[in-house]
Amino acid sequence: MTTSTDIAIVGWAHTPLVRHTDQSETQMLLHAITDAITPLGLTRADIDFTCLGSCDYITGQAFSFVSNLDAIGAWPPKRDSHVEMDGAWALYEAWLRLQEGDIEIAVVTGSGRSSTGDPALIYPMEMDPYFLAPLGADPLTFAALQARAVIDAGIATERSMAETAVRARGKGDVDELLGEEYLRTPLRRHDVPPITDGAAAMVIATGDRARQLVERPAYITGMDHRTECHNPSFRALDDSPSVRIAADALGLRNTPVEIAELQTAFTHEELLLRHVLDLGDDVAVNPSGGPLRANPIMASGLCRIGYAADHIFGGGTRALAHSTSGPCLQQNLLCLVEGRS
Amino acid sequence: MSSIPCAVVGVGQTHHKSRRLDVSFGGLVREAVFRALDDAEMTLEDIDAVVLGKAPDLFEGVMKPELYLSDALGAVGKPMFRVHTAGSVGGTTAIVAASHVQAGKHRTVLAVAFEKQSEGNAQFALGSGKGASLGAGGAFAPFIRSYIHRSGAPEHIGWKVAVKDRLNALKNPYAHLQIADISIEKVRASPMMWDPIRFLESCPSSDGACAVVLTDEAGGLAAADAGRPPAWLLGASSRSEPPSFPGRDPVRPAAAMVCAADVYAQAGITNPREQIDMAELYVPFSWHEAIWLEAFGIAEEGDGWRMIDDGSTELGGSFPVNCSGGVLSSNPIGASGLLRFAEAANQVRGAAGEHQVDGAKVALAMAYGANSQYFSTWAVGAEQRPFG
Amino acid sequence: MARLVESTITFPYRRSLGPVVGAFMTALTEMRILGTRSGDAVLVPPMEWDPRTGAELGNDLVEVGPSGTVESWTWVPNPSAQHPLAQPFAFAFIRLDGATTPLLHAVDAGSPNAMSVGARVAPRWRGERVGAITDIVCFVLGESAEIEGTDAGPASEPVTRMDYEASITYRNPVPVSADRVIEASQEHRLLGQKCPVCERVYAGGRGYCPIDAVELGEGHEVDLSDVGTITNFSIVTPVQYPGQTETEPFVRAFVLLDGSDVILSYQPVIELPATDVRVGQRVVAVWASPAEDSDEGGAMGGTYGRLIGWMPNGEPDIDDPDLVNRIF
Repeated sequence: MTTSTDIAIVGWAHTPLVRHTDQSETQMLLHAITDAITPLGLTRADIDFTCLGSCDYITGQAFSFVSNLDAIGAWPPKRDSHVEMDGAWALYEAWLRLQEGDIEIAVVTGSGRSSTGDPALIYPMEMDPYFLAPLGADPLTFAALQARAVIDAGIATERSMAETAVRARGKGDVDELLGEEYLRTPLRRHDVPPITDGAAAMVIATGDRARQLVERPAYITGMDHRTECHNPSFRALDDSPSVRIAADALGLRNTPVEIAELQTAFTHEELLLRHVLDLGDDVAVNPSGGPLRANPIMASGLCRIGYAADHIFGGGTRALAHSTSGPCLQQNLLCLVEGRS
Repeated sequence: MSSIPCAVVGVGQTHHKSRRLDVSFGGLVREAVFRALDDAEMTLEDIDAVVLGKAPDLFEGVMKPELYLSDALGAVGKPMFRVHTAGSVGGTTAIVAASHVQAGKHRTVLAVAFEKQSEGNAQFALGSGKGASLGAGGAFAPFIRSYIHRSGAPEHIGWKVAVKDRLNALKNPYAHLQIADISIEKVRASPMMWDPIRFLESCPSSDGACAVVLTDEAGGLAAADAGRPPAWLLGASSRSEPPSFPGRDPVRPAAAMVCAADVYAQAGITNPREQIDMAELYVPFSWHEAIWLEAFGIAEEGDGWRMIDDGSTELGGSFPVNCSGGVLSSNPIGASGLLRFAEAANQVRGAAGEHQVDGAKVALAMAYGANSQYFSTWAVGAEQRPFG
Repeated sequence: MARLVESTITFPYRRSLGPVVGAFMTALTEMRILGTRSGDAVLVPPMEWDPRTGAELGNDLVEVGPSGTVESWTWVPNPSAQHPLAQPFAFAFIRLDGATTPLLHAVDAGSPNAMSVGARVAPRWRGERVGAITDIVCFVLGESAEIEGTDAGPASEPVTRMDYEASITYRNPVPVSADRVIEASQEHRLLGQKCPVCERVYAGGRGYCPIDAVELGEGHEVDLSDVGTITNFSIVTPVQYPGQTETEPFVRAFVLLDGSDVILSYQPVIELPATDVRVGQRVVAVWASPAEDSDEGGAMGGTYGRLIGWMPNGEPDIDDPDLVNRIF
């Protein structure tokens, strides 16, 4: 869906994206928000609405997001919301909220420390509680099964996956990587994202306010998210119908983008989405390195949108960003950002 | 709030019980969803987006259950959104769903909230699996002691609320607690759980779900034309404040007062006691009725308990509160807020059945969460702009 | 790198299954596998609703398998504690005979070389079946189903519930400011942090001021009194749940520290029976001996290291009508 009300990203920041942080989630958010608003000359008092994205099971505590209120400066009390989703969806809620027209500036965040628990043990709890969770069916298993489907469909090869890893991380030799053992056939270590702690904060504003704050806002010209049925047993894993619907809603077919930042944590996912989105060779995918380089859970999608905005801030014309959730890319969000002369 | 109107055209809920052992997760939410769709004379195909709210995932041990429930909710190929703002989440779910409509991005949105507390143990989850969990009662008892002290209210006020809400529940076939012989004596004789809160002054632990269909002006007008009056959204707001700092007052939280003022300003309400016909307030422990009557400006500070004492908040009183039986009678935590918002809508639609307030035209609903930090509130009306 | 505190949370749940999953689980105890008819298709695992449209499917159950064909698989060389098998195995999509969709389960194939798309597999049933997907231990190569252990027969009544338990260990870093509070507690000192902007003082090594959103560190530390007054309290009647450590009603008190505006919330009390706790009571901190060190620290609201609670100090009560309103 495209929007008629101007809403633009005016700034964003992330904490160091590291294998392990000593900071609490709240501390990370404190820094990320301050770093996002300060260059804009804003203080927390200027923020009309906040929406935070995080996940209790990643933190290992019920209501873990409550203490994160300490980071937003919610005194006097703030218009505020929280999604148990990636910060990209927090952005979706704020994008809707600003279009109501009565407020001007929102800050959205995503935060998580995946270093504190073992994702292989935590993520099965996200699966069908009767048939899949009791088997300990983990993200790596589903990624591997989807990778096999994508390879069988001729969309990827183990070589093109290794090439994707080398490009994303800016290091490694494809032939050497292909000589490594399988972690989970057909995935090797290089096909899999790192464990990353981190938080990101993004500032969006309505058109006039955005133009006061920065010279070149990154206008959100469309945002759309769609889900698929949950159990991968019932899906064609060599396709992504939810991405197709979202792309059509944004009119992507007739809207060339220069870069695409995709929350593709596994190498084959990047190749699959490149195929589904029909991105040409002229489109740079994940110039930031993508989740294969740094994958801060619950902030990874918001970071993609941030890097897309960076492309616009740097003079680019149009960029696509993507976020996802669930097994085998169950749920997908697309966000289109544009610069204007 | 947006200038784009939003209407509630369908409301559904499950029968709430301590254990709904007859249903799966999907079965539970679908029971509420299909009742709401039937009420709206719609099918899943008419829904453009789904917003799911529930309290901590640790309650059921399903992480991000919106993923598992996507297909049960008919959301395949559609946006599926998940909200979690502690106890206020049911209210926030309705507000976020309304925002989907009021941003002009989605025409008809399904708001769903649920909790299946029997799958796990709320005390366990509230304590994150550690020993000596306070539970909500243990956390809130000091707030109530403070309220009683500062208002000088007599102890029977808490008992009266406990009786009133359970009498109202007897008129609500969906309500969990159906205590036919509820009485002041019975409440007074019930065990002290978290001094000064007695067992019968506390909410139950329930399995249940609630669903609400929201749509745009054309949809609301079409429902009205078809003889199914909608509830029009007059004002909506969410406000949060930090958990603790020296001087924070959880009995009269600033976030509650700002949230109320915001809704009243949007709705054109200048005298809530007179202009609002009934309210559904989130009252998990009986004394919170008095606390919220004051924080929401319905009673003057220190006087909330007097409205309870003189019967004003009874069904048939001058300002009925929690005609559905409230959280004290049904508490599927994540859905409890949405149940308040749904009941307010049903009241102004004239669809509240036996617990209908005669001639209700404007109703208020609120929910709150965590350490009295998260507030969500909406006002709905039978008319689009009753106060200009 | 900060010190890590390890805590294992065991999540025990008992799920109700509803008509379709319940029938499936009951059939598993009879060593039968059910699918749901949906038009011309037979969905396995069976669903109450059509996974694509959400339409009600109407409990039209049909037996499939028990043998099937591997449609896809991945080799698991290092099984997790939650996986069905301790030894390396394959997770596979198995299309059971008569089904149109594949079921995910484990195949005990010994080696990835033994696995292939198109391979025929059959279930290895658990002898003692309870009505859970793990009643099938795994699948084995070939056409013949097996039973592990002695066959205890089907469930005597329809299965309506299932247990689910996951155990997860979290290793959380202790923030520097919290560690400094713990360190000070070894000298029986309560450390606070004073915000340079609003001058509010926070206990428990919070590390920031929530009002001004500024970080607080070593330079902001102030010593707090370990004597105070109970302003309010909670007497909790314990409800039993997995992991509960209490059996008798216990007190959590709010303590206003002398000479400051700081409240320590939900504090344990010692040598103070629930019936005797009152607003205005004077109390003093009780410190653990080094042998009793615990990383759990105080209750909700912060870390206080060796502080284990508060006990009456014998001073007369303070009579201040506003005390009870000091909760935070």
